Amino acid sequence: MTEAFLILLGTIFVNNFVMVQFLGLCPFMGASQQFDSAVGMAAATTFVLTLSSAISYLVEHYVLVPFDLQYLRIISFIVIIASLVQFAEIIIRATQPILHQILGIFIPLITTNCAVLGVALLNVRQSLNFFEATLYGFGAALGFSLLLIMFAAIREKQAQQNIPVAFRGAAINMITAGLLSLAFMGFTGMD
Amino acid sequence: MPGIELITGTLALTGIAFVSAMLLTVSRNRWQDQTNLLVDQVNKLLPQTQCAQCGFPGCKPYASAIISGESINKCPPGGDAAIVALANLLGREVEMLDESCGIQKPAAVAKVREDECIGCTLCIRACPVDAIVGTQQMMHTVLTGICTGCELCLPPCPVDCIDLVFDLPAEADVASPASTEQPCIHCGLCTDACPRDLAPQQLLLFRDSLVVAGSLGLSDCIECRLCDRVCPSELPLTVTFHEMKAEIAQQSLAAKNAAAAGSRFYRHEQRLSASGHSVRERPTAADKANLLLNLKK
Repeated sequence: MTEAFLILLGTIFVNNFVMVQFLGLCPFMGASQQFDSAVGMAAATTFVLTLSSAISYLVEHYVLVPFDLQYLRIISFIVIIASLVQFAEIIIRATQPILHQILGIFIPLITTNCAVLGVALLNVRQSLNFFEATLYGFGAALGFSLLLIMFAAIREKQAQQNIPVAFRGAAINMITAGLLSLAFMGFTGMD
Repeated sequence: MPGIELITGTLALTGIAFVSAMLLTVSRNRWQDQTNLLVDQVNKLLPQTQCAQCGFPGCKPYASAIISGESINKCPPGGDAAIVALANLLGREVEMLDESCGIQKPAAVAKVREDECIGCTLCIRACPVDAIVGTQQMMHTVLTGICTGCELCLPPCPVDCIDLVFDLPAEADVASPASTEQPCIHCGLCTDACPRDLAPQQLLLFRDSLVVAGSLGLSDCIECRLCDRVCPSELPLTVTFHEMKAEIAQQSLAAKNAAAAGSRFYRHEQRLSASGHSVRERPTAADKANLLLNLKK
């Protein structure tokens, strides 16, 4: 139990995928204009990340390793991730048409979210068991969601502020992201 | 033997892909209602004015009604173009516009004569796309960028202070630029001259099919007029390209506005249903009469 708690804590704060490992930056910047859509994006990514780390574990240990096919790891993980994203898109379109419209291109782009593939590959490297691997994926997803939602909230506040012209848009976002990253560096001591 | 490895690899990957494809197909059939998809397609062909002239509260409701058998000729703003497009999509007969629903008019936006507005909020409640802002006892105004010109705000206004401003297209004062009197002789000089490696003669050939012209790189044209200069027939190539680009821009803007109006109507509907109302409960001329009666008392 403590083990599980440590994995969650570690992936959410200490090794946060966005702020410490710098994975998944494109949805972090792209889907954080609005709080609502950021929440939707976070939910979709959590769904995909958790499932994909579980399924890619199974594929790795029951298909790739027995047949000695580790060189196909990346392509088979990508196939799994892509189909999970499609699955998530089908569900979102059926249940939340407005959210689907707002997120638009960002849902298919979860496929190319490097955090998703990154987690699947890191799971293999760290030789975790099935439960740990799933938890690792879930923790990474929670960390990503936390950051995405936090950043969206900051950006919504920021949009109302009087920012100097030279800093408006991407510039201030980069600075904010950098400061957030610095703040997350503070967690490294907990390792 | 390296061959075996290749075969197991191919089989394993095919297997993974096959299983995922199966799951996706099953879930698509399970989750995605096919009629909903068709409704969306029909809805896209409707003009998204949400004017309710068809007798349904908006474009989406009319689209669902069309799927369940309603006739396709009840949309005056869409006019003949929408009827033909719907007939093509659904494989039905092309019909004349049902004049009892109204006649096709040029695009318009509503405008409040602001010093006459008494702030009764009836028009705000009537607007299907939430394009009117204002509050009790305060002047109302129309957000022209969002207004679809549906006229639904006109009948409830007790002081008749809303006008429709028609957005008439500017008179075409220039004759069609590339006239056939000076035909393109396909000499290819313009292709050599083009600094962006486009083929101006091809673009000219497809000037009526903008999609093809777009795929040939029309948007890359920088309108430098080099092709005009070398053309032996002295065709006004650059002017033609400029107009084609303007037309494409206009079409995409119209599509964007329609989509925005559609989603605003959807949100309007959602909000009303959350508060237990229906989109059909719009203020009408009867509410106006009531209001006036109360005012007199």
